[in-house]
Amino acid sequence: MGLSFYIYERSKLGGVIGGGLQLFFSYFKDLVGREVTVELKNDLAIRGTLHSVDQYLNIKLENTRVVDQDKYPHMLSVRNCFIRGSVVRYVQLPPEAVDIELLHDATRREARGG
Amino acid sequence: MSWAGPDEVFLSTSLASYLDKKLLVLLRDGRKLMGLLRSFDQFANVVLEGACERVIVGDLYSDIPLGLYIIRGENVVLIGELDLEKDELPPHMTRVSVEEIKGAQKAEREATDLKGSMRKRMEFLDYD
Repeated sequence: MGLSFYIYERSKLGGVIGGGLQLFFSYFKDLVGREVTVELKNDLAIRGTLHSVDQYLNIKLENTRVVDQDKYPHMLSVRNCFIRGSVVRYVQLPPEAVDIELLHDATRREARGG
Repeated sequence: MSWAGPDEVFLSTSLASYLDKKLLVLLRDGRKLMGLLRSFDQFANVVLEGACERVIVGDLYSDIPLGLYIIRGENVVLIGELDLEKDELPPHMTRVSVEEIKGAQKAEREATDLKGSMRKRMEFLDYD
């Protein structure tokens, strides 16, 4: 499943599902269970296990800890959290989780229209 | 839309698994609201029952009671589930009254304003 499954679905259905680019949604779905660091637009950086993602790239993290704990004491007792996709600046991923070839390929297919 | 089963609720990114739990909601302006999640939608508009704002100034903090709040989703940064087992704040922080925290907040704001205006006046020195 995941990205490769998504590519298959796209070619099967002729390229128009929901009319949007769903590539990164599929990509993030593949990363579920991995340890990631999410940096927000307000400079808060949170590390945790990726629990789930949705179409808006809202993110749910588990076993979270804030990178700069002293600066954000109110986050001390937060173990699980939901982050609104619109406030995310970066998602730092483990290097071994990134397959550039697969992404590149998927992007080309997308550009060709499925 | 069909109703998700109990397993799906916990696997999905929806806020359903946070319903009726005590949450910390971080807003875009830096405010921290706490309360029980009673309702939400796909925009992350949320309804908090028994909401209060947690104001932290240095090592002092206070909870200002607000009541029932509907928060527009665009203002939401993060929604965190509070672990009731753990201490909410580090032990060195002390709880003070609403009046005290408002005073401390005002003093802090005035101090930053002063710093800003001093900086502006000294700008010709071109320091970093």
